[in-house]
Amino acid sequence: MTKRSPTTRPRPAPRAATAALAGGALLLTAACGGGGGGDGEVTLTIDTFGVMGYEALIERFEEEHGIQVEERNVTDVADYTPQLQQNIASGSGAGDVVAIEEANIAQFMLQKEAFVDLAEHGAADLEENFLDWKWDQGTAPDGRIVGLGTDIGGLGMCYDTELFAEAGLPTDREEVGELWPTWDEYAATGEEFTEADTGAAFMSTIQPLFRVVTAQAGGEPFQNTEGDLVIEDTPSTREAYDTVTGMSGLSAALPIWSEEWNAAIQDNAFATMPCPAWMLGHIENTAGEAGEGRWDVAAVPGGGGNWGGSFLAVPAQSEHPEEAAALAEFLTSPEGQLSAWEEANTLPSSPEALESAEVTEFTRPYFNDAPVGAIFGATAMELEPVYYGPDTQAVDDAFRAALESVEQGQATADEGWDTAVSGSERAAG
Amino acid sequence: MTAASRAPQDARRGTDRAARLRAALDTKAAPYAFIAPFFLLFGVFGLFPLLYTAWVSLHDWSLIGGNEGFIGLENYRVLLGDAKFWNALLNTLGIFAIAVVPQLLAALLLADGLNRIVRGRGLFQIALIIPYVTSIAAMAIVFSTLFGTEYGMVNQVLGVFGIDPVNWRGGRLSSWAAIAVMVDWRWTGYNTLIYLAAMQAVPKDLYEAAALDGASALRRFWRITVPMMRPTILFTVIISTIGQMQLFTEPAVFDTGGAMAGGTQGQYQTVMMLVFQEAFRYGDYGYGSAVSWVLFLVIVVLGLINVLLTGRIKGAS
Amino acid sequence: MTVTADRPAQAPAGRPRRPAGRGRRLRRLRERAPLTYAGLLLTVLLSLFPLWWMLVIATRTTDAVARFPPVLLPGGEFAANTGRLFGNAGAHFTLGLWNSFVASATVSLSVVLFCSLAGFALAKLRFPGRNGFTVAVVVTMAVPVQVGIIPLLVLMQWLGWRGELQAVIVPFLVSGFGVFMMRQYAAQGVPDELLEAARIDGCSTLRTFWSVVLPVLRPAMVVLGLLTFMQTWNEFIWAVAVLTPDNPTVQFSINQLNESAYARDFSLMFTGAAYATLPLLILFAVFGRRLVGRIMEGAVKA
Repeated sequence: MTKRSPTTRPRPAPRAATAALAGGALLLTAACGGGGGGDGEVTLTIDTFGVMGYEALIERFEEEHGIQVEERNVTDVADYTPQLQQNIASGSGAGDVVAIEEANIAQFMLQKEAFVDLAEHGAADLEENFLDWKWDQGTAPDGRIVGLGTDIGGLGMCYDTELFAEAGLPTDREEVGELWPTWDEYAATGEEFTEADTGAAFMSTIQPLFRVVTAQAGGEPFQNTEGDLVIEDTPSTREAYDTVTGMSGLSAALPIWSEEWNAAIQDNAFATMPCPAWMLGHIENTAGEAGEGRWDVAAVPGGGGNWGGSFLAVPAQSEHPEEAAALAEFLTSPEGQLSAWEEANTLPSSPEALESAEVTEFTRPYFNDAPVGAIFGATAMELEPVYYGPDTQAVDDAFRAALESVEQGQATADEGWDTAVSGSERAAG
Repeated sequence: MTAASRAPQDARRGTDRAARLRAALDTKAAPYAFIAPFFLLFGVFGLFPLLYTAWVSLHDWSLIGGNEGFIGLENYRVLLGDAKFWNALLNTLGIFAIAVVPQLLAALLLADGLNRIVRGRGLFQIALIIPYVTSIAAMAIVFSTLFGTEYGMVNQVLGVFGIDPVNWRGGRLSSWAAIAVMVDWRWTGYNTLIYLAAMQAVPKDLYEAAALDGASALRRFWRITVPMMRPTILFTVIISTIGQMQLFTEPAVFDTGGAMAGGTQGQYQTVMMLVFQEAFRYGDYGYGSAVSWVLFLVIVVLGLINVLLTGRIKGAS
Repeated sequence: MTVTADRPAQAPAGRPRRPAGRGRRLRRLRERAPLTYAGLLLTVLLSLFPLWWMLVIATRTTDAVARFPPVLLPGGEFAANTGRLFGNAGAHFTLGLWNSFVASATVSLSVVLFCSLAGFALAKLRFPGRNGFTVAVVVTMAVPVQVGIIPLLVLMQWLGWRGELQAVIVPFLVSGFGVFMMRQYAAQGVPDELLEAARIDGCSTLRTFWSVVLPVLRPAMVVLGLLTFMQTWNEFIWAVAVLTPDNPTVQFSINQLNESAYARDFSLMFTGAAYATLPLLILFAVFGRRLVGRIMEGAVKA
């Protein structure tokens, strides 16, 4: 044996908390085993995003059917949708009932086998409960009923009454609506507003207008039911593009949902903005107390319009398709939609609910008591059916980028069009 | 060593043999036992997804529709001719180039500073790690506000010097610069801590000797600290390369809207943003997987170049 | 930098330190300290601003987020926001805090232990395939994780772990980052003579690791543990994919905080983020001290 060198004398273990904590961690992992366990009773799960206004309805359903319902809500649809896609793709994890946003419904329609045909559960008789176009969006070409409509995004045009007064424009919502029966007259009003030199822009960005104008034209603006791109075969799409890019000069070029856009709302930096029903909450939250009574809602140029809205579907992976279908049908029934409207102001897609006094007589105090229920309801009823294809998301993204590059002066309108078309082709080709 | 009697010596020889055997076994087996937990766990939770992704990339695979047939290398063929991919790769490399060098240099200097002070070191350490623990949402809003065209504080300051407002998201270089600032803000402190830990292993007597020899602080830093820390510096260079090539969070929160488009004309769309956009936003899982795999190969090649370069530097010095 | 500064034992904290009198050069070096402090201080201010601003919003109502010029001083809504935070039935914030603590503690301890073992072996032990394994570790870090979410979800489903806390723990019990970091640190900091002496002494490899190597690795272990804890605590994308809102981690829970349709309630979210950041700062204050010291002490004693 050799001499021990002093350096190799085993030292006392370092005082590190490692060892002690390691023991603790084992205890912790043991304590957090899986919970839950069936006792034979049916429990349904419903996946929702944003605020759907289902609290009271779910309670009622639970009482009437003796079924437990658990709502799993994700705030942001941009988080929610990829998650739903992952759950559908991996064949598990989705709720028994799931909400699907309008922009994604056609994409999910491609995989209609992943969803229960609600016609098999009595939904075929419910057609008259929904606006025609809403019903069509949720139904596959072969008649398979994938999604039942919940809310819609009926449109108004929000405007800043103080800026309008400053520019010498009328401020009464009836008179304002009469200023712009068409988009050309809206643009002309914008020119007048700009000449008055209030320091504010007429609108924040042209980009959302494109969606509104194409929807008003109806038909198949981007993609037909076979999935082929028809952008360049549909004259109204190019017309809408030209109408909208023609207004670039009236825009503050602040991209929607950006921080700057929010700051501009507070700063009263633009005078008009197309407002779907769900946008009112955003304005109220962002403009805060200082903005109360400042914004009002008039009719949207060009007649009806819709921007956003959702559906409920039952994934085929559900173990209780019968009960899940019953829940979806209950929530989307005229009474269900009305209850959701009362709870969360989600505009119904049921004509019956839209015509009820609860909607038509509803006013919003923050917006000078504007009768938003009547305004939004009317536009939804006027709307032409419009078909959005499975690649709507990509087409939307391509046009959004193109329109923003035009209004920010990075591209001409023609260059923007070419980019948008080639971008759409890349995704849909 | 002398034997007292024969019998105990025999016994001892026996235990010696057992001990030698045990020692031999220990030398042979211990290394594998030490690395086994890592490779076993990685094999299950890392390798399986990687191989699965490779398999998916050889198919026309839609996220929603599932597998729609084997198409061989078609996704890769498309990728090589896809201007969006090359644009994203260029953006990724560009941001990498302007972000990493200042970041690591600043981290090294900050660590050296921290290593030299006593008073308030704990507080400084906490302050340096704060960017890493600040909520991404708060970071997103603050930096979006800083680099806004109309309301951005950076433009306000530039205005004081008579410089016109910059559309930070509008230009390629300006957006890269803004993102590089975000990246460096978030990761400099992180690397500083890694360096600070490594500096603890540099023997202090080296410094004392050098100080007595009259070497300046800067000279000691370059002549003692940096060479002694070469393995750790190599480590941070490689993890920064890997992290930067997979850059996603900062440009994603810098973007407006959820399209992962990286600006109106893809000015700052990184490869990982393209992967996310293709696979999850547009549901083209097969193509997204192919882009992902190509990125993986690019990173491995860059990592090897790193190792070769640093090896050469090491050999030269 | 001063030599005295490296010897806390000689200069009790709180009293102004005087140069040890080793000549003008050392004194001149010491006078550079103000510059060092100034540089650090500037970095600190830049680092702190977003966190400070987040706290400001947490003490106000949501419309303060978009205010221009930005608000920089706290308001009076923190108590109200705190009440809304812990009263929010959908977010399960307290459970989220607990889940994140369990996950982060388990993951970081496991990472520190397994990565130290592997890093030490790859740096200091000789065995066939060592270089290959080292390269393999580095390559594992290059694996892009995002598209891997789907197969990992399939795997979790197969294991029956969807919605269960172990789904955010077990896949992360080791990390290539950790192994590589410990390998580089061990290569730099563990002297071969020390190991040789231990071997000759008859220490088993494990014994050597535990008694000789671990103490030397400590600063790096502390850093790795802290960084891993923070990373696990802040992990978001995978948690959202695999867990459910009724059993969330803290970041998942914060994302659930909302009370109105189609609009994010930033004052509420940032109040949640403030409560979620606090434990990390405390942890860092407690363990950060251990990051610096032992070897310097050793040097002083020698």
